[in-house]
Amino acid sequence: MSLRKKLAKQFLAALVLLAVPLFTLADGQWVLQESTLTYHVSHPLKQTDGVSHAAKGKGVCHAGQCDFLIAVPVKSFDSGDSNRDIHMLQVTRGGQFPMITVRTRLPEDASTSATIRADLEVQFAGQAVQYKQIAFQRVVQGGETLITGTIPLTLADFKIEPPSLLAIPVKNEVPVRVESKWRLM
Amino acid sequence: MRRNALRDIVAFGMFVLCLQFAGALRAQESRPTLSGTVTGPSGAPIANAKVTAKGVATRQATETQTDSLGHYAFLTLSPGDYEVAVTAEGFNAQSSKVTLASGTPLKSDFGLIAASGAAQAAETTPTKPTAPTLEDLGISPTQAQGTAQDQARLDKRAHMLMMHQRLGLITMVPMIATVFTSFGAGGRSTSTADRWAHMALGSATGDLYFMTAYYAIRAPRIAGTQSKGPIRIHKILAWIHGPGMIATPILGAIAFNQKSKGEHVHGIARAHGPVAIVTAAAFGAALVSVSFKF
Repeated sequence: MSLRKKLAKQFLAALVLLAVPLFTLADGQWVLQESTLTYHVSHPLKQTDGVSHAAKGKGVCHAGQCDFLIAVPVKSFDSGDSNRDIHMLQVTRGGQFPMITVRTRLPEDASTSATIRADLEVQFAGQAVQYKQIAFQRVVQGGETLITGTIPLTLADFKIEPPSLLAIPVKNEVPVRVESKWRLM
Repeated sequence: MRRNALRDIVAFGMFVLCLQFAGALRAQESRPTLSGTVTGPSGAPIANAKVTAKGVATRQATETQTDSLGHYAFLTLSPGDYEVAVTAEGFNAQSSKVTLASGTPLKSDFGLIAASGAAQAAETTPTKPTAPTLEDLGISPTQAQGTAQDQARLDKRAHMLMMHQRLGLITMVPMIATVFTSFGAGGRSTSTADRWAHMALGSATGDLYFMTAYYAIRAPRIAGTQSKGPIRIHKILAWIHGPGMIATPILGAIAFNQKSKGEHVHGIARAHGPVAIVTAAAFGAALVSVSFKF
């Protein structure tokens, strides 16, 4: 091997060693600034929405992937009727499983597209359920990123017995609308 | 000329290598130690518990296990912030954040509590090494995990309120009948049979009413919840029909006594009818106020 080639190899090695800390520096964290989660319950006689603004969330990016975790207390959903909310807490086994968590892993470059398709793992009522390819819309406003979408939850997925009104149970589908504001730290 | 340039580049590369190597050596020389003991709820040491120290900045995880005395030690960690997590079979996972300073040993003990159903459910999906944890969100293990007792309390409350609701509906039947029989029992009527029928129905209504009230009063309260929506009206109306249901039979007994003696209903007993009507109306309104919900 010629001296020139040897020197070039050593130079490359030095560059690689230099680059490692640079990649580490590129890792970032997304922090949930504010959010509105709304579940919708349908019944032939009545429609009800429950809203929570209490979600906390974080995304940690590393090696081109970002792992997100969003958590919200079951108790924080407000439908305007405390009696109904406590009933919901009971049927969803919120005493034993007080948190709803959503986990997802996204490629770092997903944060640049207008529509994000995410595989979600939702833990709720003591059950963990995967929802594949859920579409979320992404809008950048100032330094913040707005993510909106709907998670198509069903009561059966989480083994929740549907509450009834006049002996008619509510619909199995309880979609959860997500509106969230994230900031890259 | 080109040779000189190459020499300079190589020299720079070597300099960088030396800098990094020197840094690594320095870190090695002053590595702090992190150690501690893992115990169970009784204070007994837990052997073979898995202890993981994850660098907050590097996200690198180092694992070790406790010995038979529950001791663990990390001897090769670099200074910095770490999340130390402890898991052991049959116990809830626990974690804490520590900061290791250069050359300073640090002790961090853990007292684990026995696993509940919630902990088992949470363990169904292990977190990925880089994934944020609930503690990263500022949610403590006690906030994240409920208890079977909390759920039992909710279940008991739901059961008692369902009984309250059903008994309330049943109470309406003799209550309506009592109101209807009042036309034959009161006023100028002298029918003893109507009076007795009215009193019997009124008594049945009273008994059912207090059973209904028992299930509402004794239903467990859920901490941190405030009354909101139709239930507030329901509760306010209880302050009308509750005293009314105490006063009505007392006034009714006086009126019954007066009528049985052949007297006209007079004095305070004259209030029996109006009080009963207000009570029945408040009770009916209370029932309607919470009927159309699930």
